[in-house]
Amino acid sequence: MLHNERECRGCREYQELSRRGFLGTAGAATLTAFATPAWLPRISLAGSFQTRDTLVVVFLRGGMDGLTSIVPYGDPNYNQALRPTLWVPPPGGANTAVDLDGFFGLAPAMGSLLPAYQSGQLLAIHATGSPDPNRSHFDSNKIMEYGTPLQEQILFTGWLARHLQTMPPMGTGPLRAVAFNDLIPIMLVGAPATVPIPDPVEFGFPGSVATAAARRAVVDATYGVAPEPLAGTALSTTATIDLLATIDFENYTPSGGAVYPATPFGDALKSAAALIKADVGVEAATIDKGGWDTHNQQGVFAGDMFTLMTDLANGLAAFHTDMQSHMDSMTAMVMSEFGRRVDENGSFGTDHGHGNAMLLMGGHVNGGQVMANWTGGQLLHPDNLYAGDSLDVTTDYRDVVAEVVSKRLNNPDVNSLFPNYTPTFQGVATV
Amino acid sequence: MTEANALCDEIRSDNAEGDAPTGLSRRGAIRNVVAGLGLGALPAIAFGDPALRPTRGRRRQRPVVVPRFGATDPALLALINRATMGFSRAAYDEAESMGYEIWLEWQLDHENIDDSAWEAQLATYLFDTLTMTSQQIFNTYGEMDGIIVQQLVRATILRHAFSRKQLFERMVEFWTDHFNIEILDGQCRRLKTADDRDVIRANALGTFPALLSASAHSGAMLFYLDNYTNIVGHAQENYARELMELHTMGVDGGYSQNDVEEVARCFTGWNFWNQGSGQFGNFRFISGQHDNGVKTVLGNVINAGGVADGDAVVNILAYHPSTARFIAWKLCKRFIGYNPPEDMVETVKQTYLDTGGDIKSMLRVILHSTVMQYLTTPKFKRPLHLMTSVLRATGATVTQARYVQNESLSMGQAPFYWSPPDGYPDSIETWGATLLPRWDFGWSVFNSATSVTIDTVGLLNSEGGNVPGQQAAAINRILTGGALPVGEVAEIQDYYDGAPAGSALRDAFTLGASVPGYQWY
Repeated sequence: MLHNERECRGCREYQELSRRGFLGTAGAATLTAFATPAWLPRISLAGSFQTRDTLVVVFLRGGMDGLTSIVPYGDPNYNQALRPTLWVPPPGGANTAVDLDGFFGLAPAMGSLLPAYQSGQLLAIHATGSPDPNRSHFDSNKIMEYGTPLQEQILFTGWLARHLQTMPPMGTGPLRAVAFNDLIPIMLVGAPATVPIPDPVEFGFPGSVATAAARRAVVDATYGVAPEPLAGTALSTTATIDLLATIDFENYTPSGGAVYPATPFGDALKSAAALIKADVGVEAATIDKGGWDTHNQQGVFAGDMFTLMTDLANGLAAFHTDMQSHMDSMTAMVMSEFGRRVDENGSFGTDHGHGNAMLLMGGHVNGGQVMANWTGGQLLHPDNLYAGDSLDVTTDYRDVVAEVVSKRLNNPDVNSLFPNYTPTFQGVATV
Repeated sequence: MTEANALCDEIRSDNAEGDAPTGLSRRGAIRNVVAGLGLGALPAIAFGDPALRPTRGRRRQRPVVVPRFGATDPALLALINRATMGFSRAAYDEAESMGYEIWLEWQLDHENIDDSAWEAQLATYLFDTLTMTSQQIFNTYGEMDGIIVQQLVRATILRHAFSRKQLFERMVEFWTDHFNIEILDGQCRRLKTADDRDVIRANALGTFPALLSASAHSGAMLFYLDNYTNIVGHAQENYARELMELHTMGVDGGYSQNDVEEVARCFTGWNFWNQGSGQFGNFRFISGQHDNGVKTVLGNVINAGGVADGDAVVNILAYHPSTARFIAWKLCKRFIGYNPPEDMVETVKQTYLDTGGDIKSMLRVILHSTVMQYLTTPKFKRPLHLMTSVLRATGATVTQARYVQNESLSMGQAPFYWSPPDGYPDSIETWGATLLPRWDFGWSVFNSATSVTIDTVGLLNSEGGNVPGQQAAAINRILTGGALPVGEVAEIQDYYDGAPAGSALRDAFTLGASVPGYQWY
């Protein structure tokens, strides 16, 4: 049965392992020992947990237009005839591409990412995505996040969940992965010790502060003697509440003068930064950023996509500045379910397409370049288009994900991540 | 004759022989049920004890002032817990006064339940799309599909909580999971309302073959599982695969990849009418897109041609023994326990085969008092069940319908929001992994007076709880019929005794809804 697939053994084992570990080392300490007023945890649970990178996945929901965010201005087929109002001219002057490598450039709204790129810690990969022809958001999200073609979707667990299931916990903390959303995304379905935390400041015991301790005492006492899995889950939950309470997210001060945008995306990245720096054993964080389905009035230099790109780039740039001290132990990945059509539609927007751009950020990504198999510099030539209307996928996103998971998250068996697919590493990261 | 068989005869005599829905002797079925539970020797002993004897026909004097002692009949309490969307004193008392079997038959005969008071209440929420066709919905709301989704989600939760047709609502929930359709998936935003009404609700207590056929012709299902793109020469297997794996035979039901491909061919051209057609969402067979070649499905040659090919597949699958077993297992899992006894599943499967998939007949076997009496494994309430349980037990009035939608989203089980086609899981592993949203809800529901009103003082008084030291016990009776563990009740009472007077009662109710004992049923 399908649900049995979901309830995989490895997952339970590691949940148990994690809970036991927590009980053994820190369970008693958590409630009492944190006392010093700093945003950092007031006690180090067991030395640093950081034995492998923390992965931050930013998923751009709706189908980001990669031909606008990472402009292939060097391809002669990319021109104003193709995109009358959306065309980004080659570098030079206002409202032109911000040059990256003489062929690709950033949309002006993405210009704040140039320093990260120049530092060698930001990599763009173009003409990437899933080779699946599907153009439904819904199906494409599933294809990408379950990591299996639609027709073969028998594993209803996400690829990131399967990574966590097959790896022992990085530490003994109660929390292995966080989704900065109301619910966990598909990529984390089935993941052990994973909690959706829409806002870490709000992840507290509910209700009046005046009575919270006494009410929680009832919860602790009754769940403490409840049958599993409830006792363990209650402990994980209250431990996470306590864990997050030790991190003063509200007064967290980013390093290097970094200023996150005052947006939900900026807040989520800032929370991720605080959580990673707190070094409490969190291995993965996901952030959804929606709104990219720009069929109408796409708005490259002002308007919808301009605002989205500005938020995305300023957020990532701030994260890059803030996380300099941790660049050796984190990788951020930005992806979307598919790209958009190469030609502009009749309502100044673009329709669902195929290939797209991805971003990787981290101290061990091979940054400072745009990796793309661009077919003689003319992947946008009509003969080279996918289905005659879209950017092709010349780099499978699974190659990128698997390489990061292998080299940076130390997973020795990435073949299990994507069933029936053997990834080919593209050199996006170093061990 | 054993006591159990005597009981069965007693039940049989309630209906004229001709009313028996099957050729299967009910007595035989019950005997098998009891044997299936591994309790063959027990009933004679148990039924000898008047305290444990089912209360059919027994009418008790209702105490007026004296505090009640909670639900005293274990079989009846189990029935209320399993056959409704949550225990309430009112439902228990109603069943107690009717008697077990009469209440069950009353619930099964849902079309004759007088639900007019609730329907009048539902009408005040002004959910105008519930009775519209998909075309009317599109014509009225067009791209404003958020309103359509909101109305159906909110109405569904409120119906689950407040309709008197509780077993019907339980089955609506069950089939909604079984024939999962994600409402946010494109056209499903506009099509699920009709599917909910004309497929799920129309057949929830009918026969499985009719339900299956209705689902196969549903615009929402044809969109959700992509069959509208299933065209001769480009067969799309998505629906074909899920039809066999999830809707009928089960993944181990004995079909092959070749069967999937052949079934997909049979369903080529099955589509739905578009928005400009005047009959948006209705089933449409496009003969030009159909593969009229000969197909072989599960060894059956299908050569009917046209739309009859797909209908033939539905027919083969609906009466296949693997389907009977899969549906029987799933029903037993939902109503009895996560790992239902094998013999029980076999008995229900046999009922399916004998009755042509009659859902009521299967439920009569599963919900029989001899089964409910000996339930040993509690089940974990899914979040929606937790919500409806509190709303039911407290007689809450939901004044802002958005509240129930928001809370169901926060707890991760908003109706129709599940994305994969397998439906919200019915497993402790899934739901037992997240507790904070439940505790949040427990607080919220007793502290959101502008959205949901609960007369905690009135409830307490009605259960004689306005006595020092007896508040938690009364809350226990209100919420569960007295089923919370003694230790949990004591903890709540301790809290109450030391809490600020202004919030003590609401807090104690909050704790009652938050403790482990309330998460099980």
